[in-house]
Amino acid sequence: MSTLIVIDQSPYGTWAGREALDMAFSLAAFDQSVSLLFTGAGVNWLRKAQTASEIEQKSVEKNISAAPIFGVKAIYADAKACVQYGLGLDNMLAGVAMAENSTELLHEHTHTAFAG
Amino acid sequence: MMPINTLHILNKAPDHSRTAQCKHALRPGDALLLTENAVLALSVAGGHDDPAIPVYALEPDAVARGLGQSGTETTLVDFSAMVDLTAQAQNVISW
Amino acid sequence: MAATSSLQNYTLVITGAPYSSQAPQTALLFARAAIAAGHTLDRVFLYGDGVHLASSLSAPPSDETHWANEWARFLKGNSVPGVACIASALRRGLVNESEKKRYELPASNLLEPFIIAGLGEWVEGTMASSRVIYFHAGG
Repeated sequence: MSTLIVIDQSPYGTWAGREALDMAFSLAAFDQSVSLLFTGAGVNWLRKAQTASEIEQKSVEKNISAAPIFGVKAIYADAKACVQYGLGLDNMLAGVAMAENSTELLHEHTHTAFAG
Repeated sequence: MMPINTLHILNKAPDHSRTAQCKHALRPGDALLLTENAVLALSVAGGHDDPAIPVYALEPDAVARGLGQSGTETTLVDFSAMVDLTAQAQNVISW
Repeated sequence: MAATSSLQNYTLVITGAPYSSQAPQTALLFARAAIAAGHTLDRVFLYGDGVHLASSLSAPPSDETHWANEWARFLKGNSVPGVACIASALRRGLVNESEKKRYELPASNLLEPFIIAGLGEWVEGTMASSRVIYFHAGG
């Protein structure tokens, strides 16, 4: 069984992305195959230099960067959404694979889930 | 009933961003089930994007919203049929 | 012609709160239909805003459905485990007696038969079930 956790909501405005990351990390902790797909406004999770202290939240950069260490297989970003939000290699976190046709990923995994 | 590869369950109104994402993810052999506010698609002119993909809508949600008449391409179903669809499909994605 | 599909074992995940979304309602009607068709429900997992369904302090108007009580009745009547994710629950103020003591809170409000447990319960559900259906807030 391989799971794709999809994050399509922007960071900090809602907790959906954080809760999606928790789902991914829990699956990895149980040795289940899991990958993350960021799409739509969710690609903004992958922007470098997020300083969330002034809105009194924790930045998620460290969590996402640590994902491979915790056993998450891959981190994908929808290419069209990245273009829409002005994200490219120069201002994105490292270790992200661009997906030109991200909906294909849904069909390559046995289980696809959103956190909310 | 034809076998279903992936059943997509959509509960978002037609103009919600996830609705477009869902439509984009439909593949031949899939089926689409509209629930809750997604049944509003029944009232939107323009018909259905891909005639090869069966579209179902939860009748209780359609009737609640005054949309008890299905379009020619959408099949109204009850919860019992919704359960059947999830049992038949190889995969289910809740959008 | 009736289609015959094999019996499934379902995990249901609810992430939408009652009264803020239809998620608990759609999930309950689905759950009843699944049981009626002979399928089994492995568990019902509340995540994110869905944990509000497990509150014992809801007091809706008498002419509205009491979703928490309806769900509690269904879970008890069909011996289906109902689990609220601890991280989601604590953030949103859903606590049982032991969490109330641990955090020195003035009250506890978890509705029986719901229990509070970690996300591992959801992972186990995905591994043990043949179908996992999510009921998110709509839009």
